[in-house]
Formats: sequence, C-alpha cells, structure tokens
Amino acid sequence: MKFRRYPTQDHPLSRIALSLIAIGVVTLFLVLPLATVFTEALRKGLGVAWEALDDPDARAAVRLTLITAAIAVPLNAVFGVAASWAIAKFDFKGKQFLTTLIDLPFSISPVVSGLIYVLIFGLQGWFGESLREANVKIIFAVPGIVLATIFITFPFVARELIPLMEDQGRDEEEAATSLGASGWDTFMRVTLPNIRWGLLYGVLLCNARAMGEFGAVSVVSGHIRGLTNTMPLHVEVLYNDYQFVGAFAVASLLALLALVTLVLKSLLEWRFADDIAATHRH
Amino acid sequence: MSAAGFRFRNPSALPGFGLSLGFTVFYLSVIVLIPIAALIVRPWEIGFSGFWNVISDPRVLAALRLSFGGAAIAAVINAVTGPIVAWVLVRYNFPGKRLLDALIDLPFALPTAVAGIALSQLYSANGWVGEPLSHLGIRIAYTPIGVIIALTFIGLPFVVRTLQPVLNDLSRDPEEAAATLGANRWQTITRVVLPSLMPALLTGATLAFARAVGEYGSVIFIAGNLPTVSEIAPLLIVIKLEQYDYAGAAAIGVVMLAASFAVILALNLLQNWIGKRR
Amino acid sequence: MSLVVDSIVKKFERFPALNGVSLTAPQGAFLALVGPSGSGKTTLLRILGGLEFPDSGSVHFADLNWLDVPARDRRAGFVFQQYALFKHMTVEKNIAFGLTVRAKKLRPPKEEIARRVEELLALVQLEGYNKRYPSQLSGGQKQRVALARALAIEPRMLLLDEPFGALDAKVRKELRGWLRAIHERMGITTVFVTHDQEEAFALADLVAVMNAGKIEQYGTPQDVRRAPKTPFVADFIEVQAGI
Ligand SMILES: Nc1ncnc2c1ncn2[C@@H]1O[C@H](COP(=O)(O)OP(=O)(O)O)[C@@H](O)[C@H]1O
Ligand SMILES: [Mg+2]
Repeated sequence: MKFRRYPTQDHPLSRIALSLIAIGVVTLFLVLPLATVFTEALRKGLGVAWEALDDPDARAAVRLTLITAAIAVPLNAVFGVAASWAIAKFDFKGKQFLTTLIDLPFSISPVVSGLIYVLIFGLQGWFGESLREANVKIIFAVPGIVLATIFITFPFVARELIPLMEDQGRDEEEAATSLGASGWDTFMRVTLPNIRWGLLYGVLLCNARAMGEFGAVSVVSGHIRGLTNTMPLHVEVLYNDYQFVGAFAVASLLALLALVTLVLKSLLEWRFADDIAATHRH
Repeated sequence: MSAAGFRFRNPSALPGFGLSLGFTVFYLSVIVLIPIAALIVRPWEIGFSGFWNVISDPRVLAALRLSFGGAAIAAVINAVTGPIVAWVLVRYNFPGKRLLDALIDLPFALPTAVAGIALSQLYSANGWVGEPLSHLGIRIAYTPIGVIIALTFIGLPFVVRTLQPVLNDLSRDPEEAAATLGANRWQTITRVVLPSLMPALLTGATLAFARAVGEYGSVIFIAGNLPTVSEIAPLLIVIKLEQYDYAGAAAIGVVMLAASFAVILALNLLQNWIGKRR
Repeated sequence: MSLVVDSIVKKFERFPALNGVSLTAPQGAFLALVGPSGSGKTTLLRILGGLEFPDSGSVHFADLNWLDVPARDRRAGFVFQQYALFKHMTVEKNIAFGLTVRAKKLRPPKEEIARRVEELLALVQLEGYNKRYPSQLSGGQKQRVALARALAIEPRMLLLDEPFGALDAKVRKELRGWLRAIHERMGITTVFVTHDQEEAFALADLVAVMNAGKIEQYGTPQDVRRAPKTPFVADFIEVQAGI
C-alpha cells in the first residue's frame, strides 16, 4: 500500500526545511557564541587560561561573586516563600496588584536598577552626605553590589512559588491546622515538602542570575580591581584591557555555571514535572 | 500584629497572614518601591525644561531610538523565527531534540557579559561568522546590526517559551476539520493554526521587546558604542553617572521606566483581551 | 456510487482497533455505527474521512479508490464531537471556510459565497448569527454551525462522530429530528457514530453494531432489533433499552 500522509503532518520537504531553520537559528544564536567562549579561552592552551584564573584579582572576583550570591539568594528565597504564602493561601484586596509589583524588577533595565541605588546612596544621593559623615560606603562598595543583585533577582523564587502554591490549594494546610498543628509545624511538615522542588527550581534560576548579573552591578561597583569586581565585571575589565584569553577564561567559568544550571533545570523539569509550576512542564 | 484587624481579606483558618504579608510588603517597599520612587522624583530638580533639555539632546534621542528601534526589530525577527523553533520542538521528533530544547534557555542562564564578549568575537572581522561576512563587505560588529543581533539573542527564549505550552495544548481537531473542508497545509497553517497562536506570539514578542529595550551587558561589547550611531540608552545612563550628572542619568532612567510601565500595561490589556476571546 | 468497505484492519501499537471490517451501503443511505466506547467507531469514521489510514483493506466510493484520495480532495464533510470550530472566526467565516480555500478557478464569487452562507444559516436555523464568535454560542448552536460548515462544501459524504454527545437530552432529541430532515432533503450518504443505540435506531436506515474492532451485526434497525445475531448484540440492545 502506498505511503499516505496524515492531514496534520507537514510535507517531508517542509519538515526538513523548518528543522534546518530551527537548528540554524539555535546554532547561530546559541551554540556558536557558547563554543566561542571556550575556544577563545583555550586559544593559547590550558596553561595560559589557568594562569588567568589563578590571578589574585580573578580569585577576589570569584570570592565576591560567591559572597553576593550567598546573601542575595537566601534573602530572596525567604521573601519568595513569604510572598507566595500570603498570596496563594489567602484572599485579600489588591492581590493582583501585589503580584504585578513583585514582577516589576523583571521589566526594568538592569542599568536603571543600579541607578536607583546610586540616586539614594551615591555621593549626591538622598543619603550621600550622612553616609559620608558616618563613613559608611554603599556605592562603589560591596553593600551596593549586594543590594543591586537582590533587586535584580527579587522575583525569581516568588514567581515560581506563587502559581505552584495556588495550584496546590489550601486543603492540606487547613486539615493540618484543624488537627491542631501550629502555623510553623504546618508550614514545615505540609507546605515545604509540597513546594521543595519548585523552591529549588526558583533558587537555581535566582542563583544563576545573581552570579551572572552585569548591568546593575556595573553601575554601583566602581570597578575597583580586587575589591569591587564580581566575575562578570572582571570579564569586562580584562576584555577592555585587551587581555582576551583571560577574559574568556573567566567567562568560561561563568558559561560552565550556566550549563550546569541548564542541566539541573532540565532534570527538574523532567523528573519532578508535577512538583514545579505548570508553565515549565514540557 | 493581629490578622483579625484586616478588613480587606476574607476569613481563613490558616495562620501567618499578617506576618507573611507584612514581611512581603516591607521587603518589597525597601528593595523595590522606595528606590524606584527615588528615581521618579530625581530628574525634576533641574525642572521640566532641564529634563526636556536632557531628553531632546540629539545624542540621547539617537540612543533612545536605537534601544527602542533595535528592540522592536529584534522582537519582529524573533516573532518569525521563534514560532518555527517552537513548532519544530513540539511537532517533530528527531535525535538531539531534548538538547536543542534545553539550549533555548541559554540566554536566560548565560551571564550577559559573557554573551556580550562571545557575540562580539563571533561577529568581529576575525570571528567564525564575522569573517565570511566581511569578505562579502558586510560588517556586523560595531554597527547597529550588531546591536540587533545581541537583542535577538536575548529575546529568543521569551517567544519560544511562551509559544511552546500553547502549541502543546493546541487541539488537532481544527486542523483536521480544515483538511476535510479542502484546505491545503499552507492554508491550514496560515488561516487556522497561526491565528490561534497569535495571542501567545504577541505576548512573547512583547516580553522579548521589554527585555531588549533595557538590555546592556550583551550589547555594549558588540555595539562599538559610537555616539549617535551604535550607542544604546542604558550606556548613556552609565556615562552620565560617570560624569556625576545624576539628574541627567535619572532623566533617561525615567523615560526607560515609563516604557517599562507602558509594556506592563500593554501586557495586562493583552491578557484581558485574550481572556475575553476564550 | 455505493460505499464499499472491505476487510479494513487498523492497529495502534499492535493492538487492533479495527479487525477486518466490511460493509456496503447504497448511495444516499443513512448509516449508523453503534457500539460501546473503544469498539473502533471513530477509527472507522476517520478512515472514511481521510484522517486515518488502515493497515490493510480497501474502501470504494463514488467510483474511486477512496483511500488514495487525500482528505482535502474527498469532499467528505466531517462533524467532530467537540465541534472543532475555528475560534478566531465568526460564524459566517467558519461556514464559508471550505469555499474560500478553493483554488481561484473553482472559488465561487464573493456574493455567491455570501448567498450560500445565508442559505445554510437558514437551514440550520441560525439566521442573524453571522457575526457571532463560537465562544458566544451554546453547544447546540455550535454543532449546528459545524454542520453548516460541513454542508457548505456540498459534500459527497457526511461523517458525524457522536455529534450530539456533548449536548443535553432535550437538545439531542431536537437536533436528531432536524438532522434526519436535512438528510431527507439532500440525500447525502451519511455515516453517523453514536454509542446510544436508541439514537441509532431512531435515525438510521442501516445500523452496524460494533464491538472490539468488528461488526457484530449489520442491517436495518428492524432486523437488528427483531433478530439479534449474537449474544453481544442482544445484550447491547437490552442493556441500553433498560436504562
Ligand atoms: N491514535 C491512537 N493511538 C492509539 N490508540 C488509539 C488511537 N485511536 C484510537 N485508539 C484505540 O483504538 C481503539 C478504538 O478506538 P475508537 O475508534 O476511538 O473507539 P470508539 O470511537 O468506538 O470509542 C481504542 O482502544 C482506542 O484506545
Ligand atoms: Mg469515538
């Protein structure tokens, strides 16, 4: 019997053409830039790349990046849990508006996100004078970097947990409460086990952005080598200094971080599809 | 603080409302709302005319035009390629599909500075893509085209990830109905499938546009940053800050913030409109 | 010009959905496929419509090897259980769809299409609903639009897959009589799928009782009722009548 094509199937030639376009787009825009990072880092051999990473300024940048993420991520995780508890488990006026406000940092330019803190804490900012008198440095110092990073990564955990907890409803918590469990017990024993994979998913994305943020941090950092350079800023400094191998070597560390994030993310989507927000289930 | 005092919420048996909402609002205000307020009030210390002088400076106008225009062009490019990528990922099966799917999120996960130097190298005159193009007399790095390339890179996942679930849930019945009514595949795609993807496509393209307007890290390396040619608005903010021109920086920042609000508003209207049509 | 279905076998992942189905119906017949859920009714109907292909067997209709005709050239009007209306098109655009997608040479002029839409709207008793969207219609109205859309292409064959399945009992009864009237008027060969034997017997000239991918009995409603050939048919009629 001759081959017959289903009416919802595309013509074999269209399939090939569309597949090639898709693969071409992904290769051109995603694969090639990624490959460039690693080949440029290794252009002069592993040894030279390693030297760039072993440099004290590079190590200081790695340390600052880790410290920043270690402060910003837990804070935003706690916020995300609190916000989603309030929004998903209770009905109150202005809930929709609150959700929109939480998403706000996503739609603001990273540079503007840094700018707002300069306007408050910078030398000519609202508190600039008093901070100088008290000898507290926020802008061009670590606190500013942490603040800007918190702002940028603010919505990640919350926007993951809000739809998830809304999906899960309130029955289990209400049952636990009616059985006499305290609020804390209810949260720890009922809610947290239900949201743990969603929470991890949000923390994963939050962390990737916290370690990789550039624009906002760049505005508040002042680019002081060894002191206020995070890894992405160090990449910029080296690149503008024509130290390309060094720049790409540090960049490849960040690219590895991105790849690990993508692998873990795909793993979570695949293995725990039912335990993360519905929009991520493929 | 006792939750019983709140009149604006429905009664609930669960505890912790006051604490969780209180913390949420406090943290939101300190981190997000108050700083944004600081931005909004700042430019007016130079008066409206001062504000206007900053904004109407040809260099600033050119930068705003590039940021908005480039973002719009990139969104249109993604509105064409994004549906093709999503269609291939949802409808076809081939080896390596899972890998392709995972890679789509790369622009979300890869730090923008890394993307920036990689794109710059790739499209420069000695890069893998830039070199063959330079023989044809086409320059991408350090031109507005480079800016558009970077903005397209950053926006692609927004379109693909918005379309994918919609395409997955799309019933095949209307496609089959169209075939039994005599439509060929092209007519079915253009008249039946694409219109039902339109709301998601618009949403995805708007998100990509919003992200691209304010994008900084992935652009500045490939752009070359020639004033009035390939200089983007966020970079001008940085430059003004370096000159301690806080009011000028804030003026540009306010314009960009207003654009963000406009996009959020547009998205909400779009969602409402979609909700009504269903 | 009769419909001849011969020894159709269709397997999904090695499980046979149709296991040697044959039947013959004269031109213009109203044929009902009836049987429990999963017995293969939809699969057979989709094969007739060109939406599915058998592993073996043949179908002849209108002097054609029907299986070699692509769905879009069959002019087999298909009515889906879930309506499958085009949500972004108005009622009139939905009905006109089959005419507007025709090649330029075969496409009727605009006024002619508009006239046909009006005629069909009158036929399905939805005059004045031209500009409504499917979301603004009730279930019964949607199914009538779906039928008008299928009739617009002047189908050689009308295929209906449990078209009233999603509707409540009262609307079902109404639409039933009305569908029969349309068939009487147009004389299109019609295959109607239902799991409700009462509906099948009330509507059809010929009834095929299906079970597990096979036709248990095929004949006029009177014959099937009077002399059930197999215990399954006897049981199926009885159980359903007892409800
Ligand atoms: N696309 C498909 N893939 C796998 N199995 C299918 C498919 N379509 C139908 N089947 C199976 O074939 C059998 C007959 O299905 P169907 O023709 O839909 O029955 P009916 O319409 O009588 O309820 C069922 O067991 C069903 O599960
Ligand atoms: Mg069926």
